[in-house]
Amino acid sequence: MASLITCPHCGTRPKEEFSIRGAAAPKRPSPTAKDEAWHRYVYVRDNPKGRILEYWHHVAGCRRFLVVERDNLTHEVFGVTDAAELERAGADE
Amino acid sequence: MSINLLHRHVLEDHISGFETDPNPNHLSVIRRPVIFSVLAHAGQETAVAEALWNAEDVAPRFCGPSEWLAVSRTVGAETVAGMLSAIAGASVVDQSDGRALMEISGPSVRKILGRCVAVDLHPEVFEQGHSAAMLCCHATANVARTGADTFEIIVPRSFAGSVFEELMEMGREHGLTRGFAD
Amino acid sequence: MTSYRLGSGGAINRGQSLTFTFDGRSYKGFDGDTLASALLANDQMLMARSFKYHRPRGVVTAGSAEPNALMTIGSGARAEPNARATTVELYNGLAAASQNRWPSLKHDFGAVNDLFSPFLGAGFYYKTFMWPGVLWEKLYEPLIRRAAGLGKATMQADPDRYEKSWAHCDLLVIGAGPTGLMAALAAGRAGVRVILADEGFRFGGSLLSESAAVGGRPAAEFTADVVEELASLSNVTLMPRTTVFGWYDDMVFGAVERVQKHVASPSPDLPMERLWRIVAKRAILATGAEERPLVFGGNDKPGVMTAGAARTYLNRYGVAVGGKVAVFTNGGSGYRTAADLLAKGVDVTAIIDARPQSADPVPDGLRIIRNGSVIATKGRHRIEGLIAERSGFEEVIGCDALAMSGGWSPIVHLMCQRGAKPVWSDEKQAFLAPDVGGAFVAAGAAAGQTSLGECLTDGAAKAHAALEALGRLVGSLETPEVEGEYDPSFAPLWYVPGARDKAFVDFQNDVHVGDLGLAQREGFRHIEHTKRYTTAGMATDQGKLGNVNTAGIVAGMRGVSPAEIGTTTFRPFYTPVSFGALAGTARAEHAAPVRTSPLHGWARKNGATFVESGLWYRSAWFPREGEKTWRESVDREVLNVRTHAGLCDVSTLGKIEIFGPGAAEFLDRIYSNSFLKLPVGRARYGLMLREDGIVFDDGTVSRLSENQYVMTTTTAFAAEVLAHLEFSAQTFWPELDVRFVSSTDQWAQMSLAGPKARIIMSRVVQDDISDAAFPYLAAREVTLRSGLKARLFRISFSGELAYELAVPAGYGEAVADAIMNAGREEGICAYGVEALNVLRVEKGHVTHSELDGRTTADDVGFGRMMAMQKPDFIGKRLSMRFGLTAADRLQLVGLKPVEADKEIKAGAHLLKDGAKPSLANDQGFVSSACFSPTLGHFIALGMLKSGRERIGERVMVWDGLRGSEVLSEVCPPVFVDPENSKLHL
Ligand SMILES: [Zn+2]
Repeated sequence: MASLITCPHCGTRPKEEFSIRGAAAPKRPSPTAKDEAWHRYVYVRDNPKGRILEYWHHVAGCRRFLVVERDNLTHEVFGVTDAAELERAGADE
Repeated sequence: MSINLLHRHVLEDHISGFETDPNPNHLSVIRRPVIFSVLAHAGQETAVAEALWNAEDVAPRFCGPSEWLAVSRTVGAETVAGMLSAIAGASVVDQSDGRALMEISGPSVRKILGRCVAVDLHPEVFEQGHSAAMLCCHATANVARTGADTFEIIVPRSFAGSVFEELMEMGREHGLTRGFAD
Repeated sequence: MTSYRLGSGGAINRGQSLTFTFDGRSYKGFDGDTLASALLANDQMLMARSFKYHRPRGVVTAGSAEPNALMTIGSGARAEPNARATTVELYNGLAAASQNRWPSLKHDFGAVNDLFSPFLGAGFYYKTFMWPGVLWEKLYEPLIRRAAGLGKATMQADPDRYEKSWAHCDLLVIGAGPTGLMAALAAGRAGVRVILADEGFRFGGSLLSESAAVGGRPAAEFTADVVEELASLSNVTLMPRTTVFGWYDDMVFGAVERVQKHVASPSPDLPMERLWRIVAKRAILATGAEERPLVFGGNDKPGVMTAGAARTYLNRYGVAVGGKVAVFTNGGSGYRTAADLLAKGVDVTAIIDARPQSADPVPDGLRIIRNGSVIATKGRHRIEGLIAERSGFEEVIGCDALAMSGGWSPIVHLMCQRGAKPVWSDEKQAFLAPDVGGAFVAAGAAAGQTSLGECLTDGAAKAHAALEALGRLVGSLETPEVEGEYDPSFAPLWYVPGARDKAFVDFQNDVHVGDLGLAQREGFRHIEHTKRYTTAGMATDQGKLGNVNTAGIVAGMRGVSPAEIGTTTFRPFYTPVSFGALAGTARAEHAAPVRTSPLHGWARKNGATFVESGLWYRSAWFPREGEKTWRESVDREVLNVRTHAGLCDVSTLGKIEIFGPGAAEFLDRIYSNSFLKLPVGRARYGLMLREDGIVFDDGTVSRLSENQYVMTTTTAFAAEVLAHLEFSAQTFWPELDVRFVSSTDQWAQMSLAGPKARIIMSRVVQDDISDAAFPYLAAREVTLRSGLKARLFRISFSGELAYELAVPAGYGEAVADAIMNAGREEGICAYGVEALNVLRVEKGHVTHSELDGRTTADDVGFGRMMAMQKPDFIGKRLSMRFGLTAADRLQLVGLKPVEADKEIKAGAHLLKDGAKPSLANDQGFVSSACFSPTLGHFIALGMLKSGRERIGERVMVWDGLRGSEVLSEVCPPVFVDPENSKLHL
């Protein structure tokens, strides 16, 4: 019937406004990384139960990719962050 | 060969026949609004937003953290283009033909829109002047509160017919009428 | 006379008489009646036949848990099966019909099932109809369906409208009984946004059946005052006739409002039902409690009902359920009903109390049989008496109705729909609502409170707690005093031993105690297994009345606490919801949004036949008079383009405006080919890969100025490509200063193709578009002769001299008209996507038929577009994998039939000539095929193993599905003008 995600830019929205792209944890390897790293990045997903990081694209809203941290069993949402902000923050560290 | 080109509104076919007097709940279609996408470049987001909010004759509509629509019903596209291109750090795209602008108003407007959007439009939550991109009748729209009981809805042109028909369907209970504003 | 309408009393409007029919007979009722109360007022106790045994049944309840009194309401397209007569609001002209009986309710042939019932126990279907399996569909299932079943759905289209709506509030109160009313009042006065929803058509819940006084006034008066105050508050939304049926993630509640179910002639401007999604910050469950039936022999006879139901019919509807009512109880509820009946002058023959003693006040002269039980009932279509037993002595007691009470179960379904299980309480002898966090709490009877006073207090208290959490608590609401209340406590009694007839646990599914025992003996011991083996708790009532008794009885059989047995899983919906409500407006032309091109009007004017392409409507071909098949039109259009010129609507292609100093670098990383050096004013064909090295989409990019580009995508992948760009820009390279936005809707884009394209275009465009000034792949802003600014691109999908002209959408139709006029003398025609497809197949251009998610750039002959010298681009790394560079990969080739009149069809497989069709012999497949009017025979594009080395070879095009074999020659994929001489005219 509905799940709600609170977009940091747009506010609380139903899941129909989003397109879920899957796990947000894997990071794109450098072009020179080993085959194994690329193989893992493109094909291998852990599919854990519980607390996960996912990309949610706010297609019908701000069109930003959001990193949603939530429990895939209870749908409890722990945090929603703009992916680019997270990326930049990671680069600053 | 000189050609005089006729501009045609996408809802021309949907609003035909005799115009009835508008009811208290009314959907008004603006024939030739000026609508630009404004994109702020890296690091310029705040400055561009500020310039937009201070600009005369255009109303800014929030789309995303570095994207807005600049809407004007009073001045022409060239004026708006000139004004917007003077904003440092912004890129602009004329979308005046790519969007349809409707204004829905009346005492039952929130009840009608409750059937069209999932967003809470209570005046304490969605204040006058507030705008956001959201799903409206299954299409991506920008919805703004332009009055106590008035909302502006901007939808992509190709979806306009569909959204318009759906809005009218949702307004049946409340006697929603429709017509071009001009 | 057995059941009858009292001379006065009840929350019915006696001034407004309503006429209705049941099984064709006409009856009268009053405004405010339910169908059930009106039938009882007319002494119609027999209302249904049971599911399996076809036993005569009457009402057991006065509410939504009703398992028996299911009827079909209305006729024709509006016929609704399985409506509960206890919740159907009476209206003038209502037509109800009983179900599951033949030839009539009173004389039902299927009742022989009851005689054969020893063979029809739990698991009967599994055991009897095991083999042979083929008979299931033809014999067993139709037989079972006819013999046992519910009402039939109409086969006609639903004539009514349905809607969906969102609602938002600070506090949702579910249930408008004493608890809910107090909660809503407390929150309403505090000024927060409150929604109060109740499934009934009148607010008040149990207060409407209450004989006690509240706040010094009759309960009905108190209720009316509270409802009036709530209605006056602008921050409170009252939703009667609205069932909150589900609790979903993030405090979203699903509800269905029956807007016009109670209306004789529905308004076409209103929906029949409205589905609500209610987003609440906090919610209070005030759904009350369900009275449990007692499980004794013959407890399903018409006239046997819960004590609370008998009291509701009496006090709310002014109906005596019998002339002589007996009561069988294990708690105070039976006494309360007896007292109310006596007060209204109804004869009560005896109270049979299962408990040895109780402190309940006994009305003067009423006979009490303590420590007693009922072991059988008499009568067939209505109870005529019962056999009571005490200390081994039996006695026949005459009665025409029996009010029973087995205690109370809080209605906690909603709180258990997201995984939490109800919690058994030894103290309350009931399953209580689980703790699901503070935002959603149970209150009043739903929280195990038993007295009216406690419920009123708890409703206000839970609202106060919610207000405090919302930071909006102001003052507190005083709870009114209740006078004349009974002690509602009870002693547990799961089933009554010594039954002489079936003792039903689940009335709707005809599950009796014996079935539960059989399930335990045969190993279906887990409560979920017991449910599925016996069907207890299934069908439309989902065991609202029987589930707790089932758990209690199974616990007793196994000698454990009901806590160990637990309940089956609660899922939405609480009560059945119509498909109409779930679909809302999404039917017929509103099933999905439609996208129309700015040239839609132009295409229609020119007689286009449209085809759905995603959400778009695209012009497929433009039939002319005398053309009998689509092929005739398409062939003409193709030849016309090749010899003269044609105009095609390509507005649906995705268009993305790209800006910024980082744009060139961004494009260079997005596409497999190079973009850093694309000159201003030029277009370039580009290939996008997925990260796994497979082709994703193709299109063009034109550089309009130093830092401004416009990209086109295919129609089908427009949304995906934009998302891909956004993902890449935001998550891979947020440091690149690049911004983009879709401008697909802004432009009407049309392709003018053919040898006459330039002369026609030059009549519309002011600028010099000679080959020297505007060569192949030129792209820039131009001015039309009207002064309108436009974008012109010299790109070609057809292989002809071609231009794509983009003008602001509102001018699209006018510009297309102008081009048609300008080209009339040159023989211009409109052409659609079918002709466009033929033109591109003739030219060997690929689309997503070839770029099907399995092909690499090299597979389709674009190996040179892999700029491997670039440090990085999406898909580069994995495109180098062995599997994607193997020599025997499928490669793009052309195919033409050896015998010129043979037809090749897309989807056919390729085999070596003479090889048998098998997976091992599979050499590839036909990706696109069409008749080429230019060449005069069928041609095809295909993907063939090592195809490029096999030009000239003959392969068999094998179409197993449509049964054809066409010997074909492998050829280069470009059939027309391989030198591209026409492109550069
Ligand atoms: Zn957003």
